[in-house]
Amino acid sequence: MSIMELNGGSVIAMVGKDCVAIASDLRLGNQALGISSSFQRIFPVTDRVYVGLPGLATDVTTLRERFRYRVNMYTIKEEREIEPETFAHLVSSTLYEHRFGPYFIEPVMAGLSKTPSGGYKPFIAATDLIGCLNFAKDFVVAGTASAKLFGVAEGLWEPDLEAEDLFETISQTLLNAVDRDAYSGWGAIVHVITKDKIITRTLKARMD
Amino acid sequence: MPDMTSLAHPQQRAFNPYTENGGTILAIAGADFSVIAGDTRQSEGYSIQTRYAPKVFRLTDRAVLAVNGFAADGNMFVKKVKQRLEWYRHAHAKDMPLRAIARLIQTMLYARRFFPYYVYNILGGIEEDGTGAVYSFDPVGSYEREACRAAGAAQSLVQPFLDNQIYFKNQVPAPGTSHPAHLPLPTVLSIVIDSFTSATERHIEVGDGLEIYIVLAKGRTLHGTESIGGMQELTTTDDGERVFVVRRDLKKD
Amino acid sequence: MDHFPTNWGRPRNDAFDAYATHPIHQRPYNGPKDTFADGVQRTQSGWSITNPFVPSDLVYRQPIVTGSSVLAIKYKDGVMMAADNLASYGSLARFKDVQRLHQVGNYTVIGAGGDMSDFQYIQYILEELSIEEISAQDGHELGPVEIHEYMSQVMYARRSKMNPLWNSLLIAGFKDGKRFLSFVDLLGTTYTASTLATGYGAYIAQPLLRKAVEGKEDIITEEEARKILEDSMRVLFYRDARSLNKFQIATISSAGVSISDSMQLDTTWSFAEDIRGYGAQTQ
Repeated sequence: MSIMELNGGSVIAMVGKDCVAIASDLRLGNQALGISSSFQRIFPVTDRVYVGLPGLATDVTTLRERFRYRVNMYTIKEEREIEPETFAHLVSSTLYEHRFGPYFIEPVMAGLSKTPSGGYKPFIAATDLIGCLNFAKDFVVAGTASAKLFGVAEGLWEPDLEAEDLFETISQTLLNAVDRDAYSGWGAIVHVITKDKIITRTLKARMD
Repeated sequence: MPDMTSLAHPQQRAFNPYTENGGTILAIAGADFSVIAGDTRQSEGYSIQTRYAPKVFRLTDRAVLAVNGFAADGNMFVKKVKQRLEWYRHAHAKDMPLRAIARLIQTMLYARRFFPYYVYNILGGIEEDGTGAVYSFDPVGSYEREACRAAGAAQSLVQPFLDNQIYFKNQVPAPGTSHPAHLPLPTVLSIVIDSFTSATERHIEVGDGLEIYIVLAKGRTLHGTESIGGMQELTTTDDGERVFVVRRDLKKD
Repeated sequence: MDHFPTNWGRPRNDAFDAYATHPIHQRPYNGPKDTFADGVQRTQSGWSITNPFVPSDLVYRQPIVTGSSVLAIKYKDGVMMAADNLASYGSLARFKDVQRLHQVGNYTVIGAGGDMSDFQYIQYILEELSIEEISAQDGHELGPVEIHEYMSQVMYARRSKMNPLWNSLLIAGFKDGKRFLSFVDLLGTTYTASTLATGYGAYIAQPLLRKAVEGKEDIITEEEARKILEDSMRVLFYRDARSLNKFQIATISSAGVSISDSMQLDTTWSFAEDIRGYGAQTQ
């Protein structure tokens, strides 16, 4: 029995044109037994940064609180909001502190970062459970359905998708991937982050 | 650190008669055609043994078999299936029908229930009623007829993509319309090619080359698909089903 | 994801230790658990001598006196194969004048890595086969294609009896104007390619061979082919601890088969003293 597969769940993030999206299923399980179909594992960090925490459910709660604490400390000390790049490194170093007794979480981050000219640039990243960062230009995936997410995303994703098209792409990718994964599914939620609003939708999914 | 208890009682391990040779296969059935494809890389561990080892084989003018898993078992299995089909030809003076080949394959696989052929089989072709068909098997012979199936190293990458693009899973048709039950050949070929380029991108055991077999029902033409580069006809008779193969490159890294 | 750092970076098929450098009971197994191998249940005829709970036909066999890499490439006029003259006993360089390239019939050479006694048995059965074929006097001669098919069936049959011939074989030949080069191993796995290498050669020499040969099979001359193989054998001698600087090259072309006398590799070791941890250290 793998600890990474105890509770199940998957997260994916994608880059679009001046927007990013992050999505996850809502299942919490105990191995094959489904426990909850409304388990949140994506959390807002700032107005423009979201983090998804697939993996061991108890560590989801712990890490969410840890990140909240560290982001608050950063905001107080720096007197400004944390940028997604900075947050990614915060996540990475938090996980690496526990290099030989890790949290069993593989975080996925999505956000818009400020450019010097005052615009916004899409940013996504993911790490493994000990904090090895992966800055991808297209999409990042994690969780029990990661292989399936990779396969579908590689087939559906294309560059420069507008917000609504990106929503459709990430939703289709997630739904079709988790439908082939026994440990993921039971509902899904999508967040699309644009420069002036965040679109959050819960999807109608297969519940078997 | 060597385990001291195991030194005291030498633990004996059986010779492992199996290995995995990577690669992926896939088949899609149309209304009056069938497409069966596989990559041509053969690997063991992190080594590429060869960039060209076929996994897809023409059995008759209306049946094509794709085998994936342990290559030595796969080659032996195809050899034995071909032998049985030849005996059938000698006894009945005709080619075995597709659904009969499917049952033959299940019997041959189950005959080795306690020392299995470590092979996933996908059989594609044309049924006696002229419809395109795909049969998929597990190593010990469980099988079913389907419209599409992926197997092998990148099964988990390709199958959900096929669910979406072939079965239109999670797609809602516009009001008053419905999804097509069967897709046209050019669409199917693009989906096959996209599936393999995606699998090659994300799976180290997939790549080098792609072989796509196309089986056409009696009287059906390729219309519109002749222009595809590197297509070659393999048909042996001139009044029945027709078999074609398309060979393409995949990334070699 | 495997979370145990001690398992990282190991070959995925750790069960196959081509050189038997670890005694079997000490060898760590880190590969994936193969449910198929574990699921194999066979009727047994007796029990192991050392462990009465293990059926005798499941006793783990291992190679004893072993040969290392065999290399082969296609070139303009035919095929060329190389193997050194060493047969090791574990880490001991036991026999240093062993021929690992063997001619079969008039068109084929077979080269072997792995267990040398099994290889001698293969030579014996191929000799019997050749005698049978010649006795028929029907004008048929065994070419490389036939030898390959025969060997692949023998190797697969023996693995299916759970009693393998512990070898990796390369089969090279030239008949009816066609080059032939193939691989067969103890599992009955077969394949062909324009460059082939067994044992450590598959890791060390194969990349060099592919770079030198792929796409140039019809251009490379005999001299160039010999140089490519010699250079690869030299690299193997530097890096493979179970290799020897004495080797042979077999050439198979329209002119027939010729296996060279043993040759010495010219090697340089002056660089060694510059490598920290290799020669005498100044600091």
